[in-house]
Amino acid sequence: MQQAEQYWLFAAFCCVVATLLLRLVLRERITIQSSLWVFFSLAALVVLAVVPNLTTSIAHAMGFALPSNFFFAIATGALALLHVHTLVTLSRTEARSITLTQELGILREKLDRIEKDGSHARPTLGGAPTLPPPRKSDAPHERT
Amino acid sequence: MRVLIVVPALNEESGLPPLLTELRAVAQRDRFSADIVVIDDASTDQTAEVAREHGARVVRLCRNLGIGGAVQTGLRLALREDFDCAVQMDGDGQHPPSELRKLLAVIDTPAAPDIVVGSRYLHGEGFQSTLPRRMGSGWLSWVLRLVTRQRTTDPTSGYRAYGPRALRLFSWSYPHDYPEPEALVLAKVAGLRVVEVPVVMKERQGGASSISILHAPYYMLKVTAAILLAYARSWHRIEPRTL
Repeated sequence: MQQAEQYWLFAAFCCVVATLLLRLVLRERITIQSSLWVFFSLAALVVLAVVPNLTTSIAHAMGFALPSNFFFAIATGALALLHVHTLVTLSRTEARSITLTQELGILREKLDRIEKDGSHARPTLGGAPTLPPPRKSDAPHERT
Repeated sequence: MRVLIVVPALNEESGLPPLLTELRAVAQRDRFSADIVVIDDASTDQTAEVAREHGARVVRLCRNLGIGGAVQTGLRLALREDFDCAVQMDGDGQHPPSELRKLLAVIDTPAAPDIVVGSRYLHGEGFQSTLPRRMGSGWLSWVLRLVTRQRTTDPTSGYRAYGPRALRLFSWSYPHDYPEPEALVLAKVAGLRVVEVPVVMKERQGGASSISILHAPYYMLKVTAAILLAYARSWHRIEPRTL
């Protein structure tokens, strides 16, 4: 039986990427929560790269003729999943950013009025300035 | 009825003064009282200052959110300050203030619909846009009719009045990508009643459209997909009883 090949170079590359990620986490450039997925993926790739028999067994069980093909396929799959995870995070952050921008704009308008007039009076079309009723709630909405 | 007029504006320093002056004149002539708020979507010109000089309230957004985010800001303000109705109109002069009473006449009735859309195509009066745009609008109308089972002649019209239920819905969730047609889908799924009234619109008084003739087919494709996706997504998200 042919001896399975170990992908030391690829394992070393994964370790370098993990180290870079770790540095970014320690410098608080990225959050632990968002980086965990990447750490787990890199760890799995390192295990598969340095334990060739495991890779070969799984590859054959999944119908891959060559372990390298299997390796390439799961690396691609992992990247795709990470990309989706990033998209979800970005979309959530964007939604929160929109809400914050809107709330900031509304509050600044209110503050400008108070500073300018020393009251809540505001200009009204077709009539004298009116006083606003009490606010329902100042809590921002979650979803945009 | 307390009305808030929401004018989303991006670099409209030249278009706003005539609009705000006309709004004031129309309010005096038609004897209605309304607040007007200009949502300055991170303009780089004097939009905010000009709007203030002409007596409008101004909400300045610290970053550009696009038309959807700007309109939603105004609707949130309307809901928070207990306005009975909000009217959305463009700051580029396409929506004449003189047509405002047509929207308000419908929304200020006992059995008022939740949303009143001003349609330039219902009676075919005034500026009717270019042929490619009319074709695009016709296509979107067909897609919307397929999805919502309701006839809509002007799905991209941004001249709209929102009642209390619509304010609650859109303060919580308002589409940002292609807001006008998507908002109609959202309203339909939420069980809101949408009515169109004929209005006369004008040609854009300043600035340029964001959709060029070359980008139009791609835009139509994207909006069609967005409408279908919005419909599918909304069914899982909206509880009409909570509105």
